[in-house]
Amino acid sequence: MKTNLKLSSKMHIFIIVSCVLIAIGLAVGTICHFVAGGFFNYGGDYESYKSVTVDYQSIDFSGGEKEPLELIEEICDKAFADAGVSSHVITSGTINNGGKLVYKFVYSTDYDKLAEASAAINVAIKASVTGADGIRFSYASAHNAETLLGSGLALSRAAIVVACMAVVHFIYFAVRYKLTMALGALLADVHNFALFIALTALCRIPVGSAVATYAVIAVALSIIGTCFFFERVRKNLKDDSGKKLTAHELSDKSANESFMSNILMHACLAAVSVLLFVLLSISSLSPLAIISPVLCSLIAFVSCAYGTTMFTPSVFAGIKQFGDKVKPVAKTVKNTK
Amino acid sequence: MGKVKSAIITALLVAAIVVLSLFAVISCDVPGSNGVKRYNSFISSIHLGGDLSGEAYTLLYPEGVISVSDYSLVAEDEANEDYQEYKDKYVPHGGVYVDKDKHTDTDALKESVAKDAGILLKRFGEKGYAGYSVSIEDDYVIRVSVPTNFTYAAYKFNKDANSYNDASGRSAALSDISSTVQILTYSGDMSLRDGTDYETSNSILSIKEDFASYFDNISYYLMGGTRAVKMDLSKEGFEKLNEVLTLSTETEKSAYIFIGENNTTLTLTMGKALENRTLLFTPDGATTAASNYAIVLNSVMNGGVLANSYNTDTAGSGTVIVAGTPAFGEYAAIYVLVALLLVLVAGIVASVVKYKKLGLVNVIMSVIYALVIVCALLLIEIQLTVGGAVTIVLGYALLTFTNFRVFEAVRGETLAGRTLQASVKTGYKKTLFSVLDLHAILVVVSAIIALVCKGELAACGLILFVAVLASYILYWFTRFMWFVISSPVKDKFKFCGFKREVLEDED
Repeated sequence: MKTNLKLSSKMHIFIIVSCVLIAIGLAVGTICHFVAGGFFNYGGDYESYKSVTVDYQSIDFSGGEKEPLELIEEICDKAFADAGVSSHVITSGTINNGGKLVYKFVYSTDYDKLAEASAAINVAIKASVTGADGIRFSYASAHNAETLLGSGLALSRAAIVVACMAVVHFIYFAVRYKLTMALGALLADVHNFALFIALTALCRIPVGSAVATYAVIAVALSIIGTCFFFERVRKNLKDDSGKKLTAHELSDKSANESFMSNILMHACLAAVSVLLFVLLSISSLSPLAIISPVLCSLIAFVSCAYGTTMFTPSVFAGIKQFGDKVKPVAKTVKNTK
Repeated sequence: MGKVKSAIITALLVAAIVVLSLFAVISCDVPGSNGVKRYNSFISSIHLGGDLSGEAYTLLYPEGVISVSDYSLVAEDEANEDYQEYKDKYVPHGGVYVDKDKHTDTDALKESVAKDAGILLKRFGEKGYAGYSVSIEDDYVIRVSVPTNFTYAAYKFNKDANSYNDASGRSAALSDISSTVQILTYSGDMSLRDGTDYETSNSILSIKEDFASYFDNISYYLMGGTRAVKMDLSKEGFEKLNEVLTLSTETEKSAYIFIGENNTTLTLTMGKALENRTLLFTPDGATTAASNYAIVLNSVMNGGVLANSYNTDTAGSGTVIVAGTPAFGEYAAIYVLVALLLVLVAGIVASVVKYKKLGLVNVIMSVIYALVIVCALLLIEIQLTVGGAVTIVLGYALLTFTNFRVFEAVRGETLAGRTLQASVKTGYKKTLFSVLDLHAILVVVSAIIALVCKGELAACGLILFVAVLASYILYWFTRFMWFVISSPVKDKFKFCGFKREVLEDED
């Protein structure tokens, strides 16, 4: 299916929109780096948090049909509700005849309230067990946790990989296609990546280690999208009718021919992200736990869809026009030498 | 191709796919084993990342700091002989208790724990985990969490049998984490001693000598199944070490490399000069021991020495590894599998609706792609995360879009009035270079991601590499199967859902 968009005539609009978005995103990120503790809103595996840990072993509750863990969870939920705090992540783990239940809270939660809830949990558990022999121990305690950038190495490696991908993309296109197309492909990679980073910083969505993965996926998608577009450009340049087209006409024709493939691919991937979001939200019973990777992926797909279907074809028309002007001059200089 | 040949090839292929699919998805008790042995399907034997099977974490308490549980066990039991001592000695600090006699300067303790956490962050970072974190709890306790690396069978608790579906796999994964944590948290400097026990042995080098400075580089060495620690001596270090080793005439005596008070089991022979500057050691213990020792020795060599000893006061429990439930919920892995199956079904329905019977060829390719990915995840032991699942979908999108582009190119040729055979030939010829370019660049890029990155990204790179190769091979296999399946069909245009433009000459 072909579309009939005149993208090349709107080159200036796309450049302004992209530059403004990227500049605002980078500015917000930079300001937040100094005043809000990070370029991104680090969340999940990056952020510091407060927690309440319940250590329990050999607990025997009187006459209950429920598992000890379920009863402890009920006691904890009541204590947190009474203290007016709510956790965003709950994990449990088992060790010999018992286990640990960890409730994580956002760092801004009042520590005194957590300590108060811990004391209430201890009292409630002790009141619920059968006799003195029914419990070996059960202790709840509140903690402050300062998280170091555990996935910092992944971020730096991802930055290196993104640079390598863009360079490989440029070299491959310079060899297999033309220098103007290679420049267009390089620009697409840089633009899509910068837009992804800027939008992620601007939206202040909680960013976990998934951001590195989606930054790389964004560039991989950019490569696939540019392959679709420049393959059409190369084909049209070979056609007799295509040879007669101006740079703007050629770019528009190729963009329209590859538009649906690109949009469809990005839309399918975005739909998969939403599907994962819905299913994992059901699984974790908390959309908050899964919101970060899903929003990251949606930003990656939107940035790439816009970059490869609109920004790149419009800017490529300008690059091609410039290349066509320079080529005869360069030939003349070469012949003169 | 004749009808019989076509039917035989198609039947064989479909039978192979069905059998492989059954092995891939169905887990069951092995018949005749009275429920003792269990066959775990390919899918349930795939290693899962921390987001799908949970993280294992441990708390590291420095000397003189104990948990509330350890304190309360004694301080709330008046019959305990240490009852009064605990009451007098320990003061609460957040969720932990601190020995006030041992740590008079708590700021210094806080600072040294923070420095140790930074060193541990680097050491665990070298392991290449798909997501890990190091945090400081209540100023004095270091919390390290790493992915459990469980397979689904090791993660899944079977309530009927009251055990895990792969209990040995689970304990092996936890013991591997335990051994890694134990080695990577070695504190103290490197030394060379004349016995296996720190207390009863003596240092071979003079107290002024810094053994760590003898080395240029210490790394992990893996070649043909040999896992070793590779230690490159500096020129000066080589001469000094030879001098020390040859001073002793007792040829059967050994020298042991220690980190702090811990024997690394790396051994040198005394009374014998070293032949070259590279030393290769194969340490005892788990398969990961060599990489762990290489990381910790390299860290110490570069000045990353832990100032505190951890978990020496924890009431005899030592370092406890707790395998927690995943943050995405207990059934996160199942939901991700359901999402992947829905994507596969959507791809299958789209291809059948759009290309009728030709869509069945794409269906076969889709199922083969899924099996290839499952087998690759299983055999290469790639850890599957949510990011990895998205990469699998990206690979599937690449395969489906490639096939659809070819089908569209062939449809374009048929509309120009060519026969189907000529259209297929021309369609493939026209898309050949664009498909090749797309796959070639993605193979290079995925190889770079797999080699340069660590953790989840490296796993995604490897998955993309396999997916792109599978997509390209299946692109050609599609043509073969198209030919095989459509051979006995009389109206080939109807088979593909294409229409041919009838030229005037043909009327």
